[in-house]
Amino acid sequence: MDTGFLRVLFDPGRFFEERMRGEAGLKIPALIILAYGIVGAVAAALMVNVIIAILPGEAQAYAAFGIAIAVIGALIMGYLMWIACAVILYAISMIFKGEGTFTRTLEFTGYGFLPQFIGSIIGAAFSYQIISNLTIPPMTNIEQIAEVSESLAGIIATDPLMQISGVLSLLFVLWSANILIFGMKYARNLSTRDAALTVGIPTALYAVYILATITGWV
Amino acid sequence: MKPHNLVVILLICIAAATVTPASAGPADVTVTSSTLDPSVLMKGDVGTLTVEIKNNGADGVAIRSARLYGSGVVGLSDPYPSVGDIGAGTTKTFTFTVRADGGEGTFYPTLVIDFQNDGTLRHPVPILVEDTPLTATIVGKPDAFSEGKRADIAIQVGNPRPNDVSGVQVIPQGTGFTTTPTGAFIGALATDEARTVPFNLTPEGETDVAFTVSWRNGINAHAVDLTLPVTFGEDKRQADLFITNIEVTPEAGRYRILGDVMNAGLEPARSVLITPGSSAIPTDPFRVYVVGTLDPDDAAPFEVTFRTDGNATTIPIIAEYRDDDGNRYVMTAVVDLGGTAAPSAERDEGIPMTGIVVAILIAIGVIGAIFYSWRRK
Repeated sequence: MDTGFLRVLFDPGRFFEERMRGEAGLKIPALIILAYGIVGAVAAALMVNVIIAILPGEAQAYAAFGIAIAVIGALIMGYLMWIACAVILYAISMIFKGEGTFTRTLEFTGYGFLPQFIGSIIGAAFSYQIISNLTIPPMTNIEQIAEVSESLAGIIATDPLMQISGVLSLLFVLWSANILIFGMKYARNLSTRDAALTVGIPTALYAVYILATITGWV
Repeated sequence: MKPHNLVVILLICIAAATVTPASAGPADVTVTSSTLDPSVLMKGDVGTLTVEIKNNGADGVAIRSARLYGSGVVGLSDPYPSVGDIGAGTTKTFTFTVRADGGEGTFYPTLVIDFQNDGTLRHPVPILVEDTPLTATIVGKPDAFSEGKRADIAIQVGNPRPNDVSGVQVIPQGTGFTTTPTGAFIGALATDEARTVPFNLTPEGETDVAFTVSWRNGINAHAVDLTLPVTFGEDKRQADLFITNIEVTPEAGRYRILGDVMNAGLEPARSVLITPGSSAIPTDPFRVYVVGTLDPDDAAPFEVTFRTDGNATTIPIIAEYRDDDGNRYVMTAVVDLGGTAAPSAERDEGIPMTGIVVAILIAIGVIGAIFYSWRRK
């Protein structure tokens, strides 16, 4: 059954093998990143909306501006992450004498963001659940805003839902890494072992960071 | 001897025999002693006067009556209307009931004894009347009274009277308090002596406590009141708790407050409990924090967890404690939550089960996808 690019989720080896037969195309990966960025933008807008609600009346006039900044920032951040991941993987694969164009690496890295997109939807839902349960007192001065922001960060960080969300995001990162192992294998013509190391090293570092965040080490 | 000389001698003998008395006269009867019970009367007191007379003559003396009269101290009992003879060398006792109707001082009611042979003996009997009552003073009481707090009271009863008294009691009178004991019995109190009796007084409200000191002077009952005003004030020594070093930490679904409770008083605070007050909903794990006994100048950390309805900007933190008598005190400190976001009280506490179930399902799906991808390689 041909399910299009979604096949990369369950059969990445065959998917990338088939993609190698054609020219590198960045349209679908860019759309995936756009969708990922949109979800991130929605989550950011929700958070900014909460922050704006506690600001004094005159500051709320800048609400639309603040939300716009958050949305644009999230969209740009998605593309920056895509490019950064591709650069990192491309650079690490060079250690294993990888062969292949950066465009192909960028293309396959974009497909690797598909699980992240799904994970970001679930994460946004969890964040909304947490934020919608918060009652935030009206603020009148900048000191109170700083205190509330700090306490908000504390609440969100200690919320069990957020910790569950963190664990889930780690799972989706692992799923993405699994796809990227196949992607790098074909994009950079690596052995399975070298592809696993290429993807596994940065993924492991990222996973350690996520775990440290969940457990409060950082 | 001539016959007329004999007649003259006979007449002289007859005359001599006629002139010689048949019994001793009033001059031989004297008052030998008088006693009064009680020895010193107070105004209005009734006492018993006993007078003893003695016939110092060689023959008996016939007494017609005996009575007592005077002013200031008057006789209440009837006179002796027919006494009879008092033999030579014997004594006779007369007892009169007297009452001090006058003021203070020494009075001299007169004992009058009428003899059968027109003689009368008048003897003034000195009787001392002094109205000085027993004294009652408070020799021990706390600096301030507190509602429901037991206070140690000491009452000293002294006897400045010139005579002993008996049946001395101290009985607290009034309402709005309880005492232990409910009364104190001292008994006899000799002149210039003093006794101290302790009471434990527990006031229920501000009131006046009248300590009634009662005694008997002979058969006469007397009393004097000592009033102790009970007004509430701050006990200078009582435990005085302060809550400091407050740290409010909002957490998922609740607040956590850490702080220190200190005893700045001079007495220990017992059974100290820290709880969040109204508008807070205590939650596990620290619905209440039991500090226990907090000695003077001592401090202890505490921790409470609670939820709010989301609108609360301040929360009272209540410190309950007891004194050595078990009296309960409450101290409240208001903690400002205004600078912190409020976790919702509607969310369930702890780990959300729905989230866990969703996470497990997703984890199964992801692991399955990864496993599947390697099988299809």
